[in-house]
Amino acid sequence: MKQILIFVLFAALLCWLMFSPIYKHVLIVRQAVLQQEVDYLLEVGASGSYGYISGEMQEQSRQRLARFGMRPDEIEFELAAANGLAASDPSAPILRGTGISLTMSYPYENLFEIDRLIGLTPPLPNERMRAFGMKMSEYVP
Amino acid sequence: MYKLLLIVAMMTVWVSIHLLQVEEELAMQTLFQGKHAVNRAAHAAAQQLDQAALGEGLLRIAPDEAAATAALYLQENLKLDTNGAPLPESFLKQPVELAVFEIVNADQAFPYTYRNDVYDYEVTLQQPGVVMIVHIAYPRAFQILEPIEWEIKGAAELVAG
Repeated sequence: MKQILIFVLFAALLCWLMFSPIYKHVLIVRQAVLQQEVDYLLEVGASGSYGYISGEMQEQSRQRLARFGMRPDEIEFELAAANGLAASDPSAPILRGTGISLTMSYPYENLFEIDRLIGLTPPLPNERMRAFGMKMSEYVP
Repeated sequence: MYKLLLIVAMMTVWVSIHLLQVEEELAMQTLFQGKHAVNRAAHAAAQQLDQAALGEGLLRIAPDEAAATAALYLQENLKLDTNGAPLPESFLKQPVELAVFEIVNADQAFPYTYRNDVYDYEVTLQQPGVVMIVHIAYPRAFQILEPIEWEIKGAAELVAG
């Protein structure tokens, strides 16, 4: 009887302990994958042969991320160049010396729901995980 | 009653191991991000040509512009303000310190070997370039790990011609 009582007392905590590490791990991996994707797009986009991150490159990036189980439509790209141009137009590449900055974001989805078991409030639905970077364009026409 | 104690003890062990792992993974990510920021800053700084010298056919780095560019790229890639203190949205909590910023300019003989005994860093440059060492402290959320601090080193050469 006493043991059942103990188990009931600790049930929520036990559930949290068993499953929350997996959710936290998914969160860390998603953040890392997003950052890796930002680094890759900047590496390619700011290289000497492109000077832009086009819509097509963004679409390919979505497909790569979809392979990690992320929903492609939810990924958002914020692209800007230091001189105010869009940096996504293949016909108007960013010239050498100008920075291209990219921010990718993805919603947290329900990764923090399990924390309700121990009384923590999950982030708001509109909050997103972000990965960012800025690299100088190398493109010389 | 001893079972209750056992459960609490096991939970404590389990939670600390779990937190330790999360912290280590995050620290690794932070280190990579810092290294990328330093690389991008050093690279951008090394491309700042001295236009007056270029007019005479010399490839020189303009020191003031290089320093300003390095600072800008470091700030943008780590979300810092102009003093090196992290902005609210930054993952870092402690100010980032630019420990070394050195320009190896065109008046040296190349290949030039830059050596820094204080930070135990050595790099050989074939072209004029920039060497950067940045001190970053990892913001520990839990006190399980020892404090983690890095001296992130990077160098870049002028790419031209």
